[in-house]
Amino acid sequence: MPALGTFALLASFVACAYAIAACVAGARRRSTPLVESGVGAFYLVTALLTVATGVLLHALVAGNYAIKYVQRVSNDAQPLAYKIAAYWGGLDGSILFWAFLLGIFGTIAVHINRERHRELIPYVVAVVAVTEMFFVFLMVVHNNPFSTFLADAPTEGAGLNPLLQNFYMAIHPPALYLGFVGMTIPFAFGMAALITGHLDDAWIRAVRRWTMIGWMFLTIGLGLGMLWAYEELGWGGYWAWDPVENAALLPWFTATAFLHSVMVQERRGMLRVWNVTLVILTFFLTIFGTFMTRSGVVQSVHAFGEDPELALMFTVFMLTLLVVSFGFVIYRLPLLRARNELDSWASREAAFLANNWILLFSAFFVLFATMYPTLSEAIRGERLTVGPPFFNKWMLPVGLILLLLTGIGPLLAWRKSTVQNLVHQFLWPAVAAVVTGMALVLAGVRVWASGICFALCAWVFVTIVQEFVRGARVRKQTTGTDMFTALVGLFGRSRRRYAGYIVHLGIVLMFFGFAGEGFKQEVEVNLAPGQEVTVGAFTVRHDALRVTTDAQKQMITGHVSVFEDGKPLGTMTPAKWFFERRPQEPTTEVAIRRAVGEDLYIVLAGFEVPTQQAFYKVTVSPLVNWVWFGLGVMVIGCIIAMLPESVFAVAVAKVPEGAATTTLLVLALLMPVSLQAHGHDQDAQVASVDPNSALFKALEAEIRCTCGGCRAPMNDCPMGPSCHGLAAQREKLARFLAQGMSRDEVLAAFVADHGSQEVLMRPIDEGFNRLLWLFPYALGGTALVGVALLARRWSRRPDEVETPSPPETPEDEALLERLNDELRDLD
Amino acid sequence: MNSKTLKVLATVVVMVGALGGLMYNSLVEGTEYYKHVDEVMTDPEAWYGKKLQLHGFVVEKSIMRKPGTLEHIFQIQNEGHVVNARYTGIVPDTFQDNSEVVIKGYLGPDGFMVEPGGVMAKCPSKYEAAQARPSGN
Repeated sequence: MPALGTFALLASFVACAYAIAACVAGARRRSTPLVESGVGAFYLVTALLTVATGVLLHALVAGNYAIKYVQRVSNDAQPLAYKIAAYWGGLDGSILFWAFLLGIFGTIAVHINRERHRELIPYVVAVVAVTEMFFVFLMVVHNNPFSTFLADAPTEGAGLNPLLQNFYMAIHPPALYLGFVGMTIPFAFGMAALITGHLDDAWIRAVRRWTMIGWMFLTIGLGLGMLWAYEELGWGGYWAWDPVENAALLPWFTATAFLHSVMVQERRGMLRVWNVTLVILTFFLTIFGTFMTRSGVVQSVHAFGEDPELALMFTVFMLTLLVVSFGFVIYRLPLLRARNELDSWASREAAFLANNWILLFSAFFVLFATMYPTLSEAIRGERLTVGPPFFNKWMLPVGLILLLLTGIGPLLAWRKSTVQNLVHQFLWPAVAAVVTGMALVLAGVRVWASGICFALCAWVFVTIVQEFVRGARVRKQTTGTDMFTALVGLFGRSRRRYAGYIVHLGIVLMFFGFAGEGFKQEVEVNLAPGQEVTVGAFTVRHDALRVTTDAQKQMITGHVSVFEDGKPLGTMTPAKWFFERRPQEPTTEVAIRRAVGEDLYIVLAGFEVPTQQAFYKVTVSPLVNWVWFGLGVMVIGCIIAMLPESVFAVAVAKVPEGAATTTLLVLALLMPVSLQAHGHDQDAQVASVDPNSALFKALEAEIRCTCGGCRAPMNDCPMGPSCHGLAAQREKLARFLAQGMSRDEVLAAFVADHGSQEVLMRPIDEGFNRLLWLFPYALGGTALVGVALLARRWSRRPDEVETPSPPETPEDEALLERLNDELRDLD
Repeated sequence: MNSKTLKVLATVVVMVGALGGLMYNSLVEGTEYYKHVDEVMTDPEAWYGKKLQLHGFVVEKSIMRKPGTLEHIFQIQNEGHVVNARYTGIVPDTFQDNSEVVIKGYLGPDGFMVEPGGVMAKCPSKYEAAQARPSGN
């Protein structure tokens, strides 16, 4: 099998080379068959990489430890999910994963755009294939994930680092990779446009959408990384300016800048060199980020090991990339001249320009500070470092300015805003900001940065609400429907604009959460049983220290009682786990009590078993959950922006009177349907309490018999039917099932009854249970898609031209004019 | 050169100058020297009062904690040079005998005072197992 994998890699290298040659030659000779064959070879590469992926996954799951990579990152005891996650858990596999994703993305992009951008496609294929070739080359000569032990193949693997064995680590890297890889497509289109000289605005449209997709995944990846840091690393925060985190943030900055400045190009024909540069920079930074984390250039807790040879190959690739792409930009400068000039600083294009400068500054600042130790060593021969305080000092004001601009940019008119216009747009937001600021001062909020942040959040929030309300009101008047349909109609008519507002709303919520950092309280204490400590409104009492073991690890658990303002809130159990295979690397199991207002975060940092003393780090962090919430809102905004237009057909189409209620009706119908679906699920799980049922048997295998020494599962107790504990346990299980509990609920009930997870054969994998938080989002998403699909079917073709009724007030007239101005030449 | 280019140039120069100045200023405050124990301990007086990140290995059996408190004293060494360190607070899980650590703080006549949260232990294994990777495998 490993031979098949290596063969697939070699074959894909050859196919890549052919795809590049055929496409470039075909495009130059205008030979369609040649280009077609190149595209075919390009698809073949994806197929071959899929085969390689299949081989590696099979080896990981089946435990083929003759393969070095598999031996390093997997072992038999690893749960299936982590065997699969091991695919991208190590260096070699992550490179294959990268190339594989790039193949998939590239294939989809080429397939979708093959007709629309016929003249660009050969070069798009060539550029993507060059990138693929580079990664395949890395694998072939340096990091072959399929290389095997020549003799004495081990029969067991070392296993994935325990720190990586958790839910977020399993999904965080794929999301980031999707973001990174997604940025290759815009770059390929940009380069194709530069090479062919087809620099009209057609390429921009293809690029914009793909950047959006990449940006969304990058955002998700960054967010999940923050969640992982918060829940697993146990230092109470979520962002520490670690080089690896920064590596992912850099392209995020430039991609965000691009998504804004591209609008200026579409509307005003300006910033064309700038946009091409941003596309190239974004791609460069994704490669640079990969290089930074994989070559040992910077020190980080989660960088891969040092590898000078790999660093050299990356450096060569990056230099070539910069020289070639900027060479083309210079060559095409005459074609990239701006069609317009900036009319006024009080215009939207100026605000977007300011936003671009700040985002670009952020990117370069973070890059500089991240590379500072390496740079100073190279220049002064002395390694100097800068810590998070340095980053915060700079990025805090920068972030606040960006937040301010989030509220300003969208409200300014293109070209030039009049004074009257400004007053009209900014009156309410300014009032909101000032009122919030005053209220905070009166309430005695001391932290100035957080105070400003709250005021700015109010400012941006009001601008967004104002836009929605005004837009919907105008639509309501012109189309004569109800407010709700008008609101949905806004998305139909100007999807990008209003979806953008939703993303901005997410940003506001995130900043609201960031501001909470200013009020964080943290205490490190050493407590004997019975002693307590008070942090903020919470009092934490250390009750006991328990030591338990299971098949994989020893668990030291602190049991603490928590009180809020004297009222008991229950117990929490921060713990430390020592995996048998890696006793030197205990994992910290943080206990978090989540709430909308503030999180209570307890870490068991150390312990003395003989005296039952425990060291706790107790953190109260206000508003943290708003960060995650804002993230969800941002992703929803992205998805809305990418939905096809027809989804909103029902609200845009000119439909008879009844239609207004139609949407509501559909919504009302759909909600219970999805709820019912959920209820159904539970019904199915209840089953009967037949002791032969599958669920009963499955649970018996998961719950430990309590007869004493046997430590066997219920269905395998050596004492057999005569065991005294078993009968009682069976009865309990039957009773729980009769109450209609699902599997997880039964397990939870057993744990609650028993007082610890010791009663389970293996601990509940909290990671995957955490998927539950996805549920409301999934529900919302399904409902939305459902509405859209139904709407699409029900609505008539919007072939009648809308005849806007004359607006009543001049105020609305101005807005309508602006609205139509916006809507005119958007796709 | 027309007046518009001049204006743009002047703006750019002022902005870059101001930012550069500010950056340099905060860099001077924000930087810490990153040194190995032996580099510093050959001439300790020269480093008194400078903010340091000291890289070394924990001397075996040198970690001592005052019972019932979070006060630690320990020694770290590199290439035969040893320094005493003092720290109050919670240490990371991987802070053990012989582990590779970086401590942050100030050196003084009676040893190295580690600032709060200033003990960083390197993971014995990063993503990859600690084995050195011979090239071309």
